[in-house]
Amino acid sequence: MFSNKKISIQLKNVSKSFKIYNKTYHTIKHRVLNLHKKNEVKLISALKNINLDIYKGECVGVIGRNGSGKSTLTKVMSGAFLPDKGGEVIKDGTSLLLNLGVGFSHELTARENIYVNGSTLGLRIKQIDEIFKDIVGFAELEDFVDTKIKYFSSGMIQRLSFSIAIYAKADILFLDEIFAVGDEKFQKKATEILERNWIENRTAIIVSHSTGLIEQYCNRAILMHKGELLYFGDTGEAIEKYKALE
Amino acid sequence: MELPALKNSVQKNNRLERIWLLAKIEFKLRYNENKLGLLWALIKPLSLLLIYFIAFKVILKTSVENYSIYLFSGLIIWQFYLETTDGLTRILSTKKYLYEYSNMSKIEIYLASLISILLGFGFNFSILLTFLFITGIGVDVNILYSPVLVLILFFLCFGIGMILSNLFMHFKDLGQIWPLVSQLIMWLSPLFINAEALKSNIPYIEAFNPMFGMMTNFRNITMYHQPPDFEILLINSIQAIAFFSIGFIMLKIMGKKASEIL
Repeated sequence: MFSNKKISIQLKNVSKSFKIYNKTYHTIKHRVLNLHKKNEVKLISALKNINLDIYKGECVGVIGRNGSGKSTLTKVMSGAFLPDKGGEVIKDGTSLLLNLGVGFSHELTARENIYVNGSTLGLRIKQIDEIFKDIVGFAELEDFVDTKIKYFSSGMIQRLSFSIAIYAKADILFLDEIFAVGDEKFQKKATEILERNWIENRTAIIVSHSTGLIEQYCNRAILMHKGELLYFGDTGEAIEKYKALE
Repeated sequence: MELPALKNSVQKNNRLERIWLLAKIEFKLRYNENKLGLLWALIKPLSLLLIYFIAFKVILKTSVENYSIYLFSGLIIWQFYLETTDGLTRILSTKKYLYEYSNMSKIEIYLASLISILLGFGFNFSILLTFLFITGIGVDVNILYSPVLVLILFFLCFGIGMILSNLFMHFKDLGQIWPLVSQLIMWLSPLFINAEALKSNIPYIEAFNPMFGMMTNFRNITMYHQPPDFEILLINSIQAIAFFSIGFIMLKIMGKKASEIL
């Protein structure tokens, strides 16, 4: 059904493992004092050999239990984490990973963060000037433009980060549990955005524990379990399989 | 289905704009935060100047002529070195928010930071020039060598900063150790000590302490109205290229894992 559509993200043989050291020697002092001791390494594979194609304009849900690899998957897809050797992540366009307060410096004001963030997304200063008011307006932060965001509540930061994503027009959006926090009114406004076909021509990957939300907005869903991709396809079926796991 | 490599194409076209934006913000954070503002940029080197003047001219009676100018010209080089190397040590951790979730190149982050410190250097440099004219020493045509010296200093500190920040990922106590190393380098530099005395007591000092050459040549072209010592200039250039290359390679290899480790 998607065969004539363009691929937005492609993962080929993507695995991700983390080395967990029994003892961490993060200082020269520790290393020198423990030269003779062997350090045991535990390998934790967070993602196991994942292959998938996500098409342009799709809204894909990611579900799974805690620690199943959902967030690692989005981090690898967004480029924050490098996949292990042999794996390949191909992306078409700019991407933005959204979760609470990410990509912000708490020492900077809302205004500065909007400019820095917009610029890292590839916008020119002039373009940011044009959308600046809209971003602040949607986030309902008109009175706090020149306040350092370290004085913001988590909800305010989240609103700001959400508005930048909408107006900065990243091609691919990773929404990692961003509908979970924030007051009801804003949550409604945010989910309405999804309804307004705002994702048109863009790709959204939604990570959420709320299966209702994913059922409502996503045609396809990824079910992660213990680092493996258990199922990728029809959302209803993915949710059924997810519930069967519990 | 294969995809064309469109990676980063969007992010590249506004690179210079972004570096300048980040440099401006950092400069503002550095100086505009407190009420004294940019005045602080002036007060700091001047107070250091006063302290060293009392210690070395009033108490130890150094024989160096025009000692306050001698001190100040050394100090602004030293400040640049100290602020860049010390400031860049933790950069991958403090500026993580910039590269963690976007594909922004880390080199840009270093550049922005260095440029913001360079702005402070420019400010200090103009004060040195003012001093030179007030005292009647003035400058001659050799001042035109200053861009060359600044360029060498810039890449030298850039390289050292990249090396330190990558090592910092694995050795967190570098933040404590480096200021001590810097102290040693300071005492081996002609910052307040007479350059000739230093050279006669420690042979080949220009080879293992880049700051020796940087300060010597900087004084040559400003207060001494002389061309730089070209042998030292060559040594400094080699040092800058070496440090920069090592740092750049380290960043390429080790820097990839920065967002996971830090």
